[in-house]
Amino acid sequence: MKVNKKSAAAAGALITVGMLALAGCAGGGATPSESEEASAGAVTVWVDAERVDALQGAADAYTEETGVEVELVGKDNATIKDDFIQQVPTGRGPDITMGAHDWLGELSTNGVVAPLELGDSASGYLDVAITASTYDGTVYMLPYAVENIAVLRNADIIPEASTSFDDMIAKGLAAGLTQPFVVEQGAEGNPYHLYPFQTAFDAPVFGSDDNGYNAEDLQLGSAGGEQFAAWLSSQGKNGTAVFNTDIDGAIAKENFLNGTSAFWLTGPWNVGSAVDAGINVAIDPVPSPTGEVAQPFAGVKGFFLSSESENAVAATDFLVNYLGTEEVQLELFEAGNILPALKSAADTASSDPIIEGFATVGADAVPMPAIPAMGSVWEYWGIAQAEVINGADPTTTWQKLAADVQAAIE
Amino acid sequence: MTNEDPRSAGTPEIDTSIAGRLARAEALIGTPAKVDGFDDRDRHGPSVGERKRPFGRWFRETGWRHIVGVVMLIVSVFPIVFVISASLNPNGTLTGTNALFSVIGLDSYLRILSDPQIPYSAWYANTILIAGITCVATVFLGALAAYSFSRMRFTGRRTGLISIVVVQMFPQMLAVVAIFLLLSTIGDYFPALGLDSRIGLIMVYLGGALGVNTFLMYGFFNTVPASLDEAAKIDGAGHARIFFTIILRLVAPILAVVALLSFITAFNEYIIASVVLIQPENQTLAVGMIKLVSNPRYADWSAFSAGAVMAALPVLVLFLFLQKYIVGGLTAGAVK
Amino acid sequence: MTTNIDEDVATDAVPPTKRQLRAARMAEAAGAGVKVLVIKIVSLGIVDAIAVYALVVLLSQQQWLFAAIVAAVALIFNWIYFSRRRLPAKYLAPSILFLAVFQIFTLLYTGYIAMTNYGTGHVGSEEQAVSSLMSSALERVEDSPTYPLTVVDRLGQLGMLVTDPEGDAQLGTTGTPLQEVQATFEDGKAVATDGYTTLTFAEVIARTDEIVELVVPASDDPNDGALRTTDGSNAYLYTSALEYDEAAGTMTDLRSGTVYSDIGTGAFTSADGEELLPGWQIFIGLDNFVLALTEESIRGPLLYVTIWTFVFAIVSVGSTFFLGLFLAIVFNDARMRGRKWYRAGLILPYAFPAFLSILIWAGLMNESFGFINQVLLGGASIPWLTDPLLAKVSVLIVNLWLGFPYMFLVCTGALQAIPDELSEAATVDGARPWAIFRLIKLPLLLVTVTPLLIASFAFNFNNFLLIYALTNGGPRDPNATIPVGFTDILISMVYKVAFTGQNRDYGLGAAFSILIFIVVAVIAIVLFRRTKALEELN
Repeated sequence: MKVNKKSAAAAGALITVGMLALAGCAGGGATPSESEEASAGAVTVWVDAERVDALQGAADAYTEETGVEVELVGKDNATIKDDFIQQVPTGRGPDITMGAHDWLGELSTNGVVAPLELGDSASGYLDVAITASTYDGTVYMLPYAVENIAVLRNADIIPEASTSFDDMIAKGLAAGLTQPFVVEQGAEGNPYHLYPFQTAFDAPVFGSDDNGYNAEDLQLGSAGGEQFAAWLSSQGKNGTAVFNTDIDGAIAKENFLNGTSAFWLTGPWNVGSAVDAGINVAIDPVPSPTGEVAQPFAGVKGFFLSSESENAVAATDFLVNYLGTEEVQLELFEAGNILPALKSAADTASSDPIIEGFATVGADAVPMPAIPAMGSVWEYWGIAQAEVINGADPTTTWQKLAADVQAAIE
Repeated sequence: MTNEDPRSAGTPEIDTSIAGRLARAEALIGTPAKVDGFDDRDRHGPSVGERKRPFGRWFRETGWRHIVGVVMLIVSVFPIVFVISASLNPNGTLTGTNALFSVIGLDSYLRILSDPQIPYSAWYANTILIAGITCVATVFLGALAAYSFSRMRFTGRRTGLISIVVVQMFPQMLAVVAIFLLLSTIGDYFPALGLDSRIGLIMVYLGGALGVNTFLMYGFFNTVPASLDEAAKIDGAGHARIFFTIILRLVAPILAVVALLSFITAFNEYIIASVVLIQPENQTLAVGMIKLVSNPRYADWSAFSAGAVMAALPVLVLFLFLQKYIVGGLTAGAVK
Repeated sequence: MTTNIDEDVATDAVPPTKRQLRAARMAEAAGAGVKVLVIKIVSLGIVDAIAVYALVVLLSQQQWLFAAIVAAVALIFNWIYFSRRRLPAKYLAPSILFLAVFQIFTLLYTGYIAMTNYGTGHVGSEEQAVSSLMSSALERVEDSPTYPLTVVDRLGQLGMLVTDPEGDAQLGTTGTPLQEVQATFEDGKAVATDGYTTLTFAEVIARTDEIVELVVPASDDPNDGALRTTDGSNAYLYTSALEYDEAAGTMTDLRSGTVYSDIGTGAFTSADGEELLPGWQIFIGLDNFVLALTEESIRGPLLYVTIWTFVFAIVSVGSTFFLGLFLAIVFNDARMRGRKWYRAGLILPYAFPAFLSILIWAGLMNESFGFINQVLLGGASIPWLTDPLLAKVSVLIVNLWLGFPYMFLVCTGALQAIPDELSEAATVDGARPWAIFRLIKLPLLLVTVTPLLIASFAFNFNNFLLIYALTNGGPRDPNATIPVGFTDILISMVYKVAFTGQNRDYGLGAAFSILIFIVVAVIAIVLFRRTKALEELN
């Protein structure tokens, strides 16, 4: 239709009126600079979705005391690390995030975490927690929990702890179970759970020096490693079938809960469901297949400070002086049932015999390596173990593993 | 841009009312294809009093179809039975056991609806809102575009048609990062449209409004004869009027199809929604529920299954409601 | 577009009189309708008002570029909608706007990333990398104590008032070493001194940036370290292991003496190639594309992954189409009762969220414990997902289950549309049912369905979700150096190589995505042209 004077005039009038109205709204609302000032007094914390409530008390207390607003955002566990690495450099990331110590290699390589000065309070944490929070000589993480696996035993079926791996299997068979021991595996293996057996053969992944794990000293392929592979093969598909790559977490849990298995190598996250199902749970150290101590991995969880945080002082203050107190550490413990990292809180929590059992095992645990070279190990490690379990020749497979990892590290 | 077709010599005494125009439209298109099976009048169905066929013949002609139907039904529904079974077992895992329906309890349903940590009803409402608005807007924008591709001739028409399909084939690996940056930049100036806003998410979905769905509609529009437009023009209708009052009504079936397809897509979309929506109260069902099970150590599969069963209902309801349009809709586009 | 009376009149030989012209205009205005005009003005008014508001906000923040874009778009919209012509534009403009902003931008962004080295160690700017390196290089001076701190301010310059281990108060500012001063104490901690104002915690937080920059030397000797604070209430002595020379663009390791310079590779590099990480993001042109095409470790698997991707896509489309078509024919018989319910049940796989169904299938196909092996096959041990060949078959089976309802729907509708007269005529002529189907129904069917088949091929070519959730690409190829498996398709392989693990290379992944896109797009365009799918149907 034609543009005639009338319609143009009407349109113009409408636009003017609309513009005035909206401009009025814009003027009345907060200008961006104002909102910037308001945000200068806020700290954003990314928290695992399961633990948001546990921190709410500390957040509110901090806001009350200092006037700084603490915003808790529940994040999906699977994406929290990647989102953090991707968002921090854009300037739109959080100030603090929850995470695990083995992220440190990647976080530090990407320059997204800032060093954290714990000062005198460092001595109040468990040694393994501080060691794990340190990377390349600098502390980056405020630890809140130390997690390791142990053996859950159905004390109704097997009243006594076992003295060795073979003893454990024998006890189970004597009690009439076809699958006395169960551990979570998967098509690509699960080296995290099998690590205590590997260390029992004196084959850690990397050697350590003063600075922690030494990426140049790959000990995976040592003689001990080959012995471990041979033992694994004997317990796999062509042997006693104790290890089965078809068993995933859900199936392992099901077996323990319905009494098919009496020994379950798993972590504190599964204790709740076992207890709820009415099982009389006892915690044992991991029985060793050799005479040496079976040392599982220790995974330390903590909080990281973003390197691009605009409110670093308040964030650091919140971390060191609030999240590092016994009260908050115990709140987090209630939410996740994992041993707290603060010594005093750990002692309080250990009044529960189950936690004490995990803590005893944890005293022997070794932190997971956080160095970037570990990423190359993860790529090949599990799949090699799965192959050995399913009948491949242990020696050649293990040697290939060591060679692949070495090549990938370079 | 202007149709150069000469004005046709219209019939004398044209009925210019809407009803008259529609009647002429129907006459031009021909009888709409009858849809069997979805209305009660079967074209050739058995009528009362027809002689029943002997079993052998019945089986050869019809019985075997029932067998196929039952077999396919079992195959289709079976995995879903697993989900329902898991949802009724309060402590269950998804695949840990093969004993279906060993435990029956509605605890998981209650848990997911009442747990303060899990704002399920908020997710439900958000998802229906977002999917609903997206589907209406997608249909509208797509119809506009399809109409212009079908009726008008302009440079770049063929290229445009191919492009809108090809653009959708681009792997969306980095879409997450790109959308995050885009929306956070927009959000700096217009918070209502930025990150953590439902409007922002809807706008991102509308970016995909022009796609294969438009192509479907384009095919259908092509079957509505241009002479209909001409007849309306004779009566003095403007292009907008032709579009809104006449054409849209005739293509209602394909609109229903596209509405359903885009509703399902928006309803189940996860990747973009998970990066745009941050606060749990703003999230959709897909995002919220995956968070329930993403940590394999604390995965609550039973509650998740219960949530999934309830989440499937809106789609199924919409499906059943639109069934007759769907079947009727995809048809007429095929007829030359 | 509208043939108005003016033009018709013009075809007559006699020029129109003024009266006739005015009548014409009135008639046309009446025909157009006032309602439409009002709607148009109101909508445009709203759009313009929003645009003006946006301009006000952007200009007040001095975002000239964005403001210019918004102004340009608003002007174009007004021009389109107020103009008499530009009809297709009127219909297409809103959709194209959304498409451009949200889809094309994603395309362009992926292209941009493909030409950078964005990945692990190169995620930020050079400035951020420098600041991160410098803060990690700080080391506590051995056995140095904690200094309780009060932040003070004089005339806008911040200073540190600390209590040393002997209980004396010392004061220093950036560049001025510590000196003993008189101070008022509270619980053994110096909290105020003459000439300086003590900042409250709130004030400290408001000036976070300055606090972080506050570096007070302990004495004139730099080896004694300098005091810094991170939480505003305690200060510690640090020395730095790195020295940054901004002018020269070098980082020097003060302990080993190695000099790392910025040689344009996006990280500080020493003479023998050692890099300091974090580095930063730089533009590297087409290097990623070259790498994608020549990378050794990918070369081996690339061939069989590509072949499998094509096979997977083609077989998926084919199998879903034929099963859907078969079922559509089966249920096309009017004599069969209850079709409505059969159809409703068959639609279910399409209605349920795909990731959930895929996870269920993965569980069903578990070799030792899955329902299929344990219950349906009575304890068999078929490695559905762990044998290289069987895994591929399983993937195709699951994709068939997921995809046949859509094709079933489409074919059902398309079959209804074929007029019975055609098949009746053919039957009268003596044609058998199969011949009728093959020669009459199938070709007509394919006309409608072909574009959908092409689109389905493209979708399955990039069907990342299915592979990831069902097998994660497994079973793994033990001979490959990258974690690729036998059911990996191109897109999932790219994802594994570039987007997971400790050493991600998003730039390389983006380059791969673009290459894959080119392949798929070329195939699709060729197929479109060959099948003449775009020809108008009437």
